[in-house]
Amino acid sequence: MSEKAADLPEELQLLTEAHVKYIQSLDTRKDDYEYWLTEHLRLNGLYWGLTALHILGDPDALPRDETINFVLSCQHENGGFGAAPGHDAHMLSTVSAVQILAMVDALDELEARGKGNGKAQVGKYISDLQNRQTGTFAGDEWGEHDTRFLYGALNALSLLRLLDLVDVDKAVDHIAACANFDGGYGSGPGAESHAAQIFTCVAALSIAGRKDLIDTDRLGRWLSERQVGRGGLNGRPEKQEDSCYSWWVLSSLEMIGKIHWIDRDSLIAFILSCQDPQGGGIADRPGDMVDVWHTVFSITGLSLLGYPGLQPVDEVYCLPKSTVERVLGW
Amino acid sequence: MSHSKAPLVSPESRTSRERTAEQKAVEAEKISKYRELEGEVRAAVARKEYSPELFQLTSKLLRTNPEYYTIWNVRRRSLISGLLSKRSAGSSPSKASPSSSPTATTTTPFAASSSSSSTATPPGPESAKIGRSSSTADVSDDPIPANPDAQTAAAEQKDLEVLRSELGFTIPLLMKSPKCYWIWNHRLWILQQAIERLQVVVSRRIWEEELGLVEKMLNKDKRNFHAWGYRRHVVSQLESPSLDGKSMVEAEFEYTTKMIRQDLSNFSAWHRRSKLIPRLLDERHADDMLRKDFLDRELNFIKEKLNVGPEDYSLWYYHQFLVLNLVSYVGHPTIAPRLTLEERTIYITREIDDIKDLLEDYPDYKLIYEALLDYTLSLCQVEGRQPDSVEKEQLVEWLEQLKRLDPMRDGRWTDLEKDCGLIELSFGKN
Repeated sequence: MSEKAADLPEELQLLTEAHVKYIQSLDTRKDDYEYWLTEHLRLNGLYWGLTALHILGDPDALPRDETINFVLSCQHENGGFGAAPGHDAHMLSTVSAVQILAMVDALDELEARGKGNGKAQVGKYISDLQNRQTGTFAGDEWGEHDTRFLYGALNALSLLRLLDLVDVDKAVDHIAACANFDGGYGSGPGAESHAAQIFTCVAALSIAGRKDLIDTDRLGRWLSERQVGRGGLNGRPEKQEDSCYSWWVLSSLEMIGKIHWIDRDSLIAFILSCQDPQGGGIADRPGDMVDVWHTVFSITGLSLLGYPGLQPVDEVYCLPKSTVERVLGW
Repeated sequence: MSHSKAPLVSPESRTSRERTAEQKAVEAEKISKYRELEGEVRAAVARKEYSPELFQLTSKLLRTNPEYYTIWNVRRRSLISGLLSKRSAGSSPSKASPSSSPTATTTTPFAASSSSSSTATPPGPESAKIGRSSSTADVSDDPIPANPDAQTAAAEQKDLEVLRSELGFTIPLLMKSPKCYWIWNHRLWILQQAIERLQVVVSRRIWEEELGLVEKMLNKDKRNFHAWGYRRHVVSQLESPSLDGKSMVEAEFEYTTKMIRQDLSNFSAWHRRSKLIPRLLDERHADDMLRKDFLDRELNFIKEKLNVGPEDYSLWYYHQFLVLNLVSYVGHPTIAPRLTLEERTIYITREIDDIKDLLEDYPDYKLIYEALLDYTLSLCQVEGRQPDSVEKEQLVEWLEQLKRLDPMRDGRWTDLEKDCGLIELSFGKN
């Protein structure tokens, strides 16, 4: 594949302008019923949209001040963030809040305008959700445990430079208990391997500096088998391909240095065939309805594949590499 | 960070762009009704009125939008604040000592954080709308209850009704949204309440009935990982002392056999089977003979299936699991840990030979070549040696076949070639 976007045939063109417009339009669709039904994902949605814009090379396409104000308006006294004002605090939206603030270089706003003790308050909310016996993390006070929350906690705490608030070794032990003989990881001990759970476990081990625990050959084999038929990736054996697995599978392969174990060109072609040329945005499969979730994870996948013109994405944090370098001081 | 089916943060152009005026009006009406309902819930929450009325409103809202996690939290707070009995000394039947302190009976993480809201809203007479009336009063304030046994029994009866009704509420929602995390979570919370509030024999029955639900959900979608995860959790609770349980490993193993018979490609069932085996053998107190016998039977079982379905990934997955038990047997539970090196070598060699036979009928299935490659390298690993010259030639040939049949993963085959030191050899051949 040519390395210059302009030289590519029409079906291999990423419709950058249409996708930027699509993302900008997301918060203007208040006459759509669906807009209201999805308010519980608003802060996550902002993270997905903003990440996509950064990777597309248009980081200022959403107004920075409004973004920061909205994020802060979702915070609770205990330091956690809800998905939108009036929604309860939850790990997932709290992680999104930290990621958004990191991206727009506004983590210090937590000190200036955040609840309680600024960053430390957010750190406390997250670290209080760790079960110190098992190392796992709950999503909120009601106690659901999942490796998604463990990864989210390590991601946000490390961006806040507060990783020492939690027992990282215990968390690592728990991930080790989620490993399967095929090299993959499930949502908990005993659960079957699943590409998105693998991403959370491998990325958490990366943050903890314990990639030595990964069986890279078996895991690479399992992950590479996710590429099917037309070049798209699925999330588990015998399932249909779906553009969002471009992220979960590729980021995991990248973390273990085996992204060349899948066929790059057919995957790029598959992802691009999921675009909506009229309205912008990317769907799970060609012809389906687009949404911001599939849009961001397709674009970050393309970035990992080195699609021309895209900004590099960090495979562990799912943030622009430039953000991670700035925040972590690399 | 969630990864269930696509959360639509905002809907799509492909259909919704061009709407008629009439469609727009319908949409506007739906939005206005939804927001009105949401507004009523929020107003009550702001007043900290966790009343039965609020509880009813959450039913309405959750039927419309089961993904709205905050409303599930509101619903649980309503249940704790009024509809379920107040737990107190002696009112927790599952605890051995009736004089255990009130705090000892509250073990769930929400207990501390919800205490303020529950004291702020003493249950009113409306709470009789759901469940039986009677002792909704907080008996913990009363040092000597008038008739503690009768009160406890009545409270338990009421709790049972509330919990059953709550389980019933989530069923149609689950049928409609079988991959919604929040509905499954709420159900587990209700079940946990049953353990904490009801006699063991009563709550055990409720938990047992969950296996029927899982069965139903897995019949609808045999790979639903929420349902499989839920099943694991339900079984582990049914096995635990809190429900007077004992091991169900035999029955669970049988269940995987049943699911596999229904559909050989059920990867989830094969996975569950592989996870149950070490415990199954331990609990059977299997000696070396029995373990070897078990391994033989599993190997024969899977090879029979492979003979007719060599393209089935799930079958190879399980075969791989069995072979790995012969290769990597140190440090984790395994089927036959005390096989000698010689026995292992014989086993793996026999598997390789049987798979080679498959090639006669199926020369174009890549999974066969992959298995041959994998197991040949495993054999070398077990014997602590490099591939000999005959094996090397075979490896080269299998890799050629893999490159031909599976060009998508060419990068992997090339890496394997390098790792096995085959690059020069294949040059030499050319």
